[in-house]
Amino acid sequence: MIEQFENSLMQFVGAIAWSKWISTLFLLILGILLASFAARGVSRFMEERASRHHTVMVRRLVFYIVLAIFFVAALREAGFSLDVVLGAAGILTVAIGFASQTSASNMISGLFLLVEKPFEIGNFIEVEGTIGEVVAIDMLSVKLRTPDNLYVRIPNETLIKTRVVNRSRFPIRRMDLTVGIAYAEDLERVENLLLELARQNSVSLEEPKAFVLVTGFGPSSVDLQFSFWVPANRVLEGRSQMMVAIKKALDEEGIEIPFPHTSIYAGSHSEPFRVELLRPETSTKKGDPDADQNG
Amino acid sequence: MTTSLETQQTMQDGQWGIHYTLEPGQTQYHELSHTRVWVTLLEQEWQIRSQRVPEDDNQKRWLQRVTDTLPDAEMDVQRFVRPDNGNQLRYLPAMSSLATVIRPHQPLTIAANSECMIYVGTLLWMRIQVGNKGAHLVELPLADPSLTWVGRTTMEGELCYSAATYARLVLDAVPKRPWRAITPVRIVNERPQPLLLERFNLPTPLLSLHGDEKGQLWTPGVTVVCETDMNSARLRIDHRLIAEAGHCELVAPAREQSARGGLVRAYDRIFG
Repeated sequence: MIEQFENSLMQFVGAIAWSKWISTLFLLILGILLASFAARGVSRFMEERASRHHTVMVRRLVFYIVLAIFFVAALREAGFSLDVVLGAAGILTVAIGFASQTSASNMISGLFLLVEKPFEIGNFIEVEGTIGEVVAIDMLSVKLRTPDNLYVRIPNETLIKTRVVNRSRFPIRRMDLTVGIAYAEDLERVENLLLELARQNSVSLEEPKAFVLVTGFGPSSVDLQFSFWVPANRVLEGRSQMMVAIKKALDEEGIEIPFPHTSIYAGSHSEPFRVELLRPETSTKKGDPDADQNG
Repeated sequence: MTTSLETQQTMQDGQWGIHYTLEPGQTQYHELSHTRVWVTLLEQEWQIRSQRVPEDDNQKRWLQRVTDTLPDAEMDVQRFVRPDNGNQLRYLPAMSSLATVIRPHQPLTIAANSECMIYVGTLLWMRIQVGNKGAHLVELPLADPSLTWVGRTTMEGELCYSAATYARLVLDAVPKRPWRAITPVRIVNERPQPLLLERFNLPTPLLSLHGDEKGQLWTPGVTVVCETDMNSARLRIDHRLIAEAGHCELVAPAREQSARGGLVRAYDRIFG
């Protein structure tokens, strides 16, 4: 019994064309190696000449093209006819397409993202409340690194469907700060003071010019919008420096930044409120008829 | 904050491009423009400290002295490992890496079909090089440059430095300071209408720096020809310095070489 099994196994093993399979495997391994070398070479060549985004795209393209060529060659070596393989791949694609609709949708969205190019690697984008630097644009998803160093994976489909804000698209950005000033203050004086701060600050650009708008009469302050432009890579620094400078300048000038408070005012035509001074609580309770009844 | 007059008199004049030598433990102190710089040599390292001070308009000299005392320890320090055993150091001027928008305090009108020459002083950066091979350590701006945007829209354009100028038409009226480079700009208005010069874009990275015998820095002249449209003009950088500069030597080459053999450039929005 065992001998019979051994014989059939030997026959089976002997029937396999080992040399063909070994050369197929060799071609595949060679393909992977050459594809990585070619990709690395192209990446090194492009690093100094192109943006990070383009370098990554071309590197990936070169890798897959070289790999595909070797894969086809390996299939031929193994004795598969390319027509049959392609036909099988077509059927397989339909089957896989139905089975993995989400992945297929993400892949197609990824292609649209590549064509539309709403952002590049290295840009700061905002998607559904997540802000981060784009570290990779892959077949299925885009990877972000948030400012607090979290790795966030966003499916390509989400990026196609929702609103994406690219914060690094243009080289300059406008900062809008809201400054509340007490009603008693001279608004023109405050406006000149703020514009002078914009002139002095080295991060704030001279052109486009900074401006101050009165946006409303708030419950406890007159609200001003102070807008100035900064280079896109110095947004945080610009905002913080300016906030500190505003606080310092207003304090030095004795201009009040009011915190929310409520004034009760009866109006000029009505009688003033009657204010009655009461005795301490313990003594009032004694004279309170309700307190006596309940006690 | 400024150094007393007595101390100033004991201090020497600093110069661009010459080699100074320090012994380990010594500090070279500089006072120029809005900046104070301390360069210290220790056994194994170079230390550089700098501080911004308000510019004293009366101060025309670049003051420097070598002391054996270490600077105030509370100041921020940049430390560099000594690249070699050389004790030499030198200071080289550099023009800004971004183009500079020159804005006259009062706009100047150039009549139709006429030209004028204005003299513009621009801010410099100080490069510190040390050791036998002149290893580059840092580059400090000698004042805080302000930034501006030059472009048709906020989407397209470039970031530039901005400098206010008196747009002086007489060279003698231009204050001579070792920390300012003087650029003569010839503006030719070939239009039939007058040209109101409110601001213009000077390609400072394309300008080389030359020093005269008195330590004043000059750049080659720049000619701007405005032919038709106010928003476009031809700009040419001269090969030579103006005769008034006298005998000068090249102190620092231009940061960038201009394209097309370099001398003619069509500029968009040169006049802002």
